Amino acid sequence: MVSSTPRFAGLLLGFLLSAAFAAAVPAYDFFICANINRNYVIGSKIVTTNGIFQRAASGDWQHLGYNDTGISAVAFDPRDRNVIYTTGNNGLWRSLDGGKSWRMCNDWTMTEARDVAVDPHAPDHVYLALPDGLAASTDRAQTLVRRENGLPARGKYAQVVQVDRTRAGRVLLGCERGVYLTEDGAEFWRQVLPTKEMVLDLQQSPHDPQVWLAVTQSVGAWRSTDGGVTWAKLPGVPLTHPLYNVTFDVTHPQRLAIGSWGLGVLASEDGGQTWIDRNAGLPDPHHVCRVGVDPTGQLYASVVGATLFVSADFGRTWKPDSLAGSVVNKFLIQPKSVK
Amino acid sequence: MKRPLLSLFAFFAATLAASAQPAFEAPPPTTAPVLDAQQRRAEYLHRVDEVLTWAAGGGNAKTDDPAKLDLAMIAAKIVRGEDLPGCSQRVIALMKEPGTGPFWMFPSVCIAYLGRDRLTPEALASIRTAWRTTRQLRGDTENHWAMYYLSLYLMAELYPNEPAETWYSGKSSAENLAEARSYLVHWMDLATTVGQGEFNPTNYIGEYVMPLQFLANWAKDPEMKQRGTMMLDWFFAELAVSTLNGVLRGPNSRADEGSVIERWQAMASYFSWLLFGNTPPTAGYSGWGLYFAPLAKNYELPEVIYRIATDRTDDYLQRDRARVRRFWRYSDELSPPVYKTNYVRKDYAVGSTTGGRMDPIQAHVWDVSWAEGDPRGKHSTMFSLHPHSAPEAMMATFVTYPEPMIKGVTFEGKPSYDSPDKTLGCSPYERVFQDLDTVIALYDIPAGTRFPHINGFFSKDLLNVTEDKSGWIFAQGGRAYLAYRPLAGYEWIKYLHYTTGWAKTRLDLGDRLLTSPHLKNGTIVQAASVSEFKDFAAFQAAINALPLTFKLEPTPSVQFTSLRGKKITFTYDQTPVVDGRAIDYSKWKLFEGPYLNAEIGGRKLTLTHGKLERVLDFNTLKITDRVK
Repeated sequence: MVSSTPRFAGLLLGFLLSAAFAAAVPAYDFFICANINRNYVIGSKIVTTNGIFQRAASGDWQHLGYNDTGISAVAFDPRDRNVIYTTGNNGLWRSLDGGKSWRMCNDWTMTEARDVAVDPHAPDHVYLALPDGLAASTDRAQTLVRRENGLPARGKYAQVVQVDRTRAGRVLLGCERGVYLTEDGAEFWRQVLPTKEMVLDLQQSPHDPQVWLAVTQSVGAWRSTDGGVTWAKLPGVPLTHPLYNVTFDVTHPQRLAIGSWGLGVLASEDGGQTWIDRNAGLPDPHHVCRVGVDPTGQLYASVVGATLFVSADFGRTWKPDSLAGSVVNKFLIQPKSVK
Repeated sequence: MKRPLLSLFAFFAATLAASAQPAFEAPPPTTAPVLDAQQRRAEYLHRVDEVLTWAAGGGNAKTDDPAKLDLAMIAAKIVRGEDLPGCSQRVIALMKEPGTGPFWMFPSVCIAYLGRDRLTPEALASIRTAWRTTRQLRGDTENHWAMYYLSLYLMAELYPNEPAETWYSGKSSAENLAEARSYLVHWMDLATTVGQGEFNPTNYIGEYVMPLQFLANWAKDPEMKQRGTMMLDWFFAELAVSTLNGVLRGPNSRADEGSVIERWQAMASYFSWLLFGNTPPTAGYSGWGLYFAPLAKNYELPEVIYRIATDRTDDYLQRDRARVRRFWRYSDELSPPVYKTNYVRKDYAVGSTTGGRMDPIQAHVWDVSWAEGDPRGKHSTMFSLHPHSAPEAMMATFVTYPEPMIKGVTFEGKPSYDSPDKTLGCSPYERVFQDLDTVIALYDIPAGTRFPHINGFFSKDLLNVTEDKSGWIFAQGGRAYLAYRPLAGYEWIKYLHYTTGWAKTRLDLGDRLLTSPHLKNGTIVQAASVSEFKDFAAFQAAINALPLTFKLEPTPSVQFTSLRGKKITFTYDQTPVVDGRAIDYSKWKLFEGPYLNAEIGGRKLTLTHGKLERVLDFNTLKITDRVK
């Protein structure tokens, strides 16, 4: 028994670790939209690999689909990972075969799309953020229609669009003049957060769908705890520099991070009550265009003019990741899909 | 009649053999109009041949080995029927690494059409394959879209009835054709009703006229073919009326450091040389300009345009409308109107817009420029500006984040954007008024603005620069007298010049900047011909005698009686008043002057010179010529 106790304890520990490991196996996939082109101008040859990359279990970034140097965002059909939407200079591209072939979904009346989102409860419904508003589709982007009722005539530059995962047709849009909400699939929009300058990112908490965060060009960071209806400014986030994006950590409900041009990486580990500079080990100046957190809780920071960095301790220490010289335009953490 | 022409051609041929780029290296051509139509045509064809010979000979590389040539040079060889098997092989090699946007699309279209019955099927297939495999970016400017859709239209016509999977766009030939046609008709409609966004571009004129020429020659749809022909005339008419001795003058929607300081240094000069023959061509025919040559012999420049371009016996005032490129954000209007003025005399030209925001990086707002016997290397211009650089300006026009872009553009052919001593660009804090050869530019720069000063450009080629105790600075440029009145204190600094958009270093070529650190500021420039005065002293005395009062606080304001006797009152952000009458810009037409006239919304441009008249009517797609 004496000898068996440690064995039992070891077995128990092993069981618990296995269970914990099984529970920790991420239910998400992690993607980035990355450009590895320096000084690219329209028309020049592309000599590097750009576009969508997926983080493999090995830690490598695996390229997916087209070598797209102008990609700004990506979204997937939750039913079928082979249905991919990307945005960029030409507008919206769609692949139905896992990235082997693509169709430019829009015509000349839409251009330079900034973001795309698919409704998880109505996966044929696609929303496209445009520099002059918003377009929506109900047929997997085979046709796109302007849906701007309620948006201002001017000031509807849309940088980010996010679908509320709790209900079909509930969508938030980050514009020049604030955050707009639709609850009927973009038939009508109403302003829920007025801002005097660009809203640059919107994110819904993976832990509590009522919680949303918004970051802006010059008016700080904001939080909603009622599904995006009302908003309160997050204290402790400086207004001195643009806040390019914000991210939650799927492994830790209290962890948040902001990427900023000038402020670099700001992190919070108390749900946004306090914010800490997490730039030690990152290149100076702190020109961070995007932060993201992968399904294992690793924090990433894309530094303009440098490369992609990764941190295993939420920004306390950093090391360069692979994809040397890359600039990441989007981190996307995506529930694993059926196909 | 034939013998002299044949002799002329023989002389031309000898010239071409003796010199790599004859007209570029030769003395400047005469600016006198060639009145004989046959001679004019012969000289035009000779110039076309010069370009084709230079291109087919490998340009500066001086090789006729196709394996070392680019697509423009291959195009020249194809049209001359030289080494077609070698050309085919080169096309196949080049198509293995296609480009990614309109600057690759229109050259590949050029080869695809020129080579239809001359290149091997494999070479033609290689082009077609590239249009399947390589995604083409549409770009973000008016010239990008013109090139993109003109190219897509022609390729979709060349390869009709092909399925979606054979095109990079994932759309069928019919879909591509319909989309391209729809945009092109929309764009032409916009340009002929409210004006171009990229008006009077110093270099980008080529990006329009080259693919338009392809459309005029190769479109199967007669309507689109006619549209191409008419738009070519439209562009060249605007070039003709905006040039003095073949050099583009006045404001530009988009320019670069080279073409603003050395006004001749622009692709527009290449087209003036080719079409009007009244200025030297630019080095290498501006590179892209080579793509106009293969089909240039099919183009007949209307005589009325030629006369407008070359007749400078009478002074003329042309007032036109255009529009600002799209402001996505930070603006209450998508494309606010632009009001531009050009006053052209034999010895100099004065041109301006009303200031404010236009293209944030490349706009050139106003200048007084003078004629030079040989414009090459001459900095024959005078102007001032506020060197504005701001994230908001970038955000208005572009969809990228402004902070990285401000640095980024300096590596993308616009090196001076974020330089305090730049001479290119517009400012939201500049207002300009022009009456004939008088310009008043006022500045009201908010405190805290980056680069809180104004720059006045003083050329190395000015003579007798005199800082008078009256406050005026007098100078002579060519056969023009110039009076420049800074409204606040200043100092002189060296102007350092980026010789090209891709230059890494700046050169001191002898120019100076008058830099004034006062936020409320202004410049008055009055020009006159040397022939109007007994001597320089008389000009100075005349200027000093002109009534002038101004104040800078709280808002810059000037009352000035010009050399032409006009009593001008101009206050920043207020309507200018001339001889008691307020200027009503809302009544300005699309084109208004002795040569070009069009109504806003009219889709119809009337070109007039003497008894010659040509009407380009986009309502009926008809061209009407008559002798009045």
